[in-house]
Amino acid sequence: MYLGEFEHIVLLAILRLGDEAYAIPIREEIEERTGRAVARGALYTALERLEVKRFLRSRMSDPLPERGGRSRRYFTVTAAGLSAMRSSRRSLLRLWQGLEGRLES
Amino acid sequence: MSRPDAPPRAAERLLAVAFGRGEWAESILGDLHEEFIVRALRSPASAARWYWIQAVRLTSRRVLVRTKDRRTATAVPGALSPNPGDSIMRTLGLETRYALRSIRKRPAMSAIVVLTLALGLGANAAIFSMIDALVLRPFTLPDADRMTLMSYLKADDIDKRVSPADFLDWKRQTDVFERLTAMLWWDANLVGRDEPERVQGFFVSADFFPTLGIELARGRSFLADEETQGKHHRVVLGHGLWERRFAADPGIIGQSIDIDGRPHEVVGIAPAGFEFPMGAQLWAPLSLDSKAAANRRATYLMVIGRLAPGRTLQDAKAQMAVIGERLERDHPDTNRGRVSRVYSLAEGMRDLGVGPILSMWQAAAAFVLLIACANVASLLLARGAERQREMAVRVAMGASRLRVVRELLIESGLLALAAIPGALLVAFIGLKLVVGYMPAKIARFVVGWHQMDVDVRLVLFTAGLAMLTALAFGLIPALQASRPRLTESLKDGGRGATVGASRQRLRRGLVVAEIALALPLLVAAGLSVLTVHRFLYGPQGFEPDRVLTMQVVLPDVKYPAEGERRRFAETAVAQLRQTPGVEVAAAVNVAPAAGNNWTRGIEIDGKPNPDPNDPPSVDFRAATPDIFAALGIPILSGRAFTEADREDSQRVAIVSASLARRYWPDEDPIGRRIRFGTEEWMTVVGISGDVIHDWFMRRNYPTLYRPFKQSPTSEMALAVRTSADPASVAAGARAALRAVDPMQPVFDLQPLRTSLQERTVGLQYIGGIMFVFGGLALVLAVVGVYGVMAYMVTQRRHEIGVRMALGATRRDVLRLTTRQAMTLAAVGVGFGVVLSLALGRLIEAGLLGVASSDARLTAGLAAVLIASAMAAAYIPARRAASIDPTVALRE
Repeated sequence: MYLGEFEHIVLLAILRLGDEAYAIPIREEIEERTGRAVARGALYTALERLEVKRFLRSRMSDPLPERGGRSRRYFTVTAAGLSAMRSSRRSLLRLWQGLEGRLES
Repeated sequence: MSRPDAPPRAAERLLAVAFGRGEWAESILGDLHEEFIVRALRSPASAARWYWIQAVRLTSRRVLVRTKDRRTATAVPGALSPNPGDSIMRTLGLETRYALRSIRKRPAMSAIVVLTLALGLGANAAIFSMIDALVLRPFTLPDADRMTLMSYLKADDIDKRVSPADFLDWKRQTDVFERLTAMLWWDANLVGRDEPERVQGFFVSADFFPTLGIELARGRSFLADEETQGKHHRVVLGHGLWERRFAADPGIIGQSIDIDGRPHEVVGIAPAGFEFPMGAQLWAPLSLDSKAAANRRATYLMVIGRLAPGRTLQDAKAQMAVIGERLERDHPDTNRGRVSRVYSLAEGMRDLGVGPILSMWQAAAAFVLLIACANVASLLLARGAERQREMAVRVAMGASRLRVVRELLIESGLLALAAIPGALLVAFIGLKLVVGYMPAKIARFVVGWHQMDVDVRLVLFTAGLAMLTALAFGLIPALQASRPRLTESLKDGGRGATVGASRQRLRRGLVVAEIALALPLLVAAGLSVLTVHRFLYGPQGFEPDRVLTMQVVLPDVKYPAEGERRRFAETAVAQLRQTPGVEVAAAVNVAPAAGNNWTRGIEIDGKPNPDPNDPPSVDFRAATPDIFAALGIPILSGRAFTEADREDSQRVAIVSASLARRYWPDEDPIGRRIRFGTEEWMTVVGISGDVIHDWFMRRNYPTLYRPFKQSPTSEMALAVRTSADPASVAAGARAALRAVDPMQPVFDLQPLRTSLQERTVGLQYIGGIMFVFGGLALVLAVVGVYGVMAYMVTQRRHEIGVRMALGATRRDVLRLTTRQAMTLAAVGVGFGVVLSLALGRLIEAGLLGVASSDARLTAGLAAVLIASAMAAAYIPARRAASIDPTVALRE
């Protein structure tokens, strides 16, 4: 199964964030690193899809007062997720091979 | 407004509906909550707005994405069809997409529907806003709903006043009110620093500001002992006045300014925008000397109460009734027949005419909306006919009827939704016109006038009404369309004359209904316009053209005695007479159409009044000799006043024709005697023509004129008849009066025509708005007739072709088609006449009893309606007549 570009970006952000990966920091991380705006709805859709594909696992935190007594949903990348990322990256790199010259200009 | 520490609850609920109750919902709502808190620290209002935007975005995305997902997943080609067990959100999402597609497919028709609805909804929204501002929430006072207005007058007196002695007794005897405060009209003459100016002031009890819950912008409000005589020359300035005349100088507090010829110490500045009551800009303590405080006869105070905590308006009414009865028993000579009344502030301060006028407007607006609905329903029916096959296929494929109805209703709902912005725009423009046209002078008496605006309540009202409307116009076409005769429709229909017969019948019914609704609206509009015209340009009893009037109120300090007032009037008239352009000059206590009035109780010699405490009241005018010539009021018999009618000559009076008729029905009144109360008798020397002093309350009202020298009043209007445009004499007139007394303010200096315009402005509003509604109704009805006829011609092309092939002439076809339109219009008009008669009462009430339904007008407008319908039918009829049978038959 291939990863879409946005899914790939989301997984990368989650890996970077480590234990602190829930939707708000994930979105901030992506916006900061890529410089492009991320719609909340798009992010939630992607997260849900990735979990359905079993590339992500999530757990709920304890209820927090600053969230109106609601829990945070923390994400971690699963082994399947990692291997999907790896194969995605590999495919891309292989496709890039021999084209490095084009990048110069 | 909203709780700063939590997101808007309604938005949370929206999200909960879209996302359900699971962990996903919890985490999303939690994330939004977390971000909201951070934003709310910076700005609570923008945080709430942000939250709403997010909620709407996420919800709509959720709905669309889900439906797309499922569709691609199940991959049933073209079947935008929900599966059993789908969530409501998903089903609705699908159906919404489907409806959107269908709307986009027919852009012209959708645009017409949206436009029609926008007009109908906009008219209603504008009227709602007026009712909201004028009737429901007219005051910006902090606790307006805890405030009451009281009156203690004879049962048939519609005024709302209390005598000073009764007011003081109330204050001692009641406990339902936390405070009672009294107000008294004050024409304040402000002098110094600038041109002398007349300012609207009120004398008020010392606790006036606390009673209303108003904190002054600067300084203090009045102290209790400033009600005592001698300490009462204090004023609070209105914010606008302070800025305009005193350059917003904070140092004015503590200083003394000259009002009515006496120094007054400025103690405070009212907050910006506070102009209660009636645009007041000056407030001074109401100081009742011992004589005034004991006065129970003269009722001149306006009394406002603030309910004590826990007490209701009902409590107040009950207790005041008891106190009122007790005061009536204790003081029968003055209080017999008096009834105490307690009104809510909004009700008490409302202009008398506002209620019936607004009901009429609302009824008219509702009619317009109904007509618009009929039009839209008719369009949708026509479209339903085109979609017959589509529906039949879908039902054949297993779509339930409920589902088809629901989809068509969603489509109607979306159309109504799309009309909301347009409706708000229509309402906004309408309100701007309505507010802008009103002269400021009058607007301040219409409580709540400046509150009229487009606000959240209006948007909610419009949205709610739009949804109701969608149901109203969508239901019939939806039910109709969902009931296709399957086999007929699937076989290539559309050729036989029977297809859509019941649909055509429905559409014809709708057109009949439109015409039936339009006629009463047109009658009301026509009646209003005629009435306005009559009062504005018809006979007034005086000649309003080429007359300039101006008002002065002489302060008691400077003009304490009759002699000084007499002298002022005399010199002012003499000065004015010498002003270039002036033909005749005169003074009178009250000018026609001036907006104020003066009445006295009379007794006729030889006919004592049955109740001496309740004499019949007449309008009272004190006038210099030339007043009849200046205003153009005819003397019907006897003589006008002359310079020989002096303070020391025989006391004389001139009576109006209506007074003469009422009190001397079978005699010649000249030479008879009449008197005010128990004053000296006056001899009638002449009879004057009647005038319309005020179109609402004072038409041809019995009036008694006195020579000014024998009754010099301190309040007077000066009137000059000019040889040219009266406005061109204004500067000269002002200079003439300044020569008499440079410290005396002159106000309302304007042509009499202008005063008349201002006095009838309410009526002009009635006429104008009804005219717009009538016009809208006519246009919509005509469009409706056109639509039905055009559609019918298209449907019957084939049949008409056959007829022509068999020898029917163009003329026959023309007749055939127009006859049908004629029948529709005639039936509609028939119902309309009945409806007009039934609504006659409402129309008469809306026009405040100054107009009555008129059979000729109704007949005339019915003819106009029929003619318009025929004109609308003519275009499709001509098209039918020009059908080429060889072409039509081959189709």
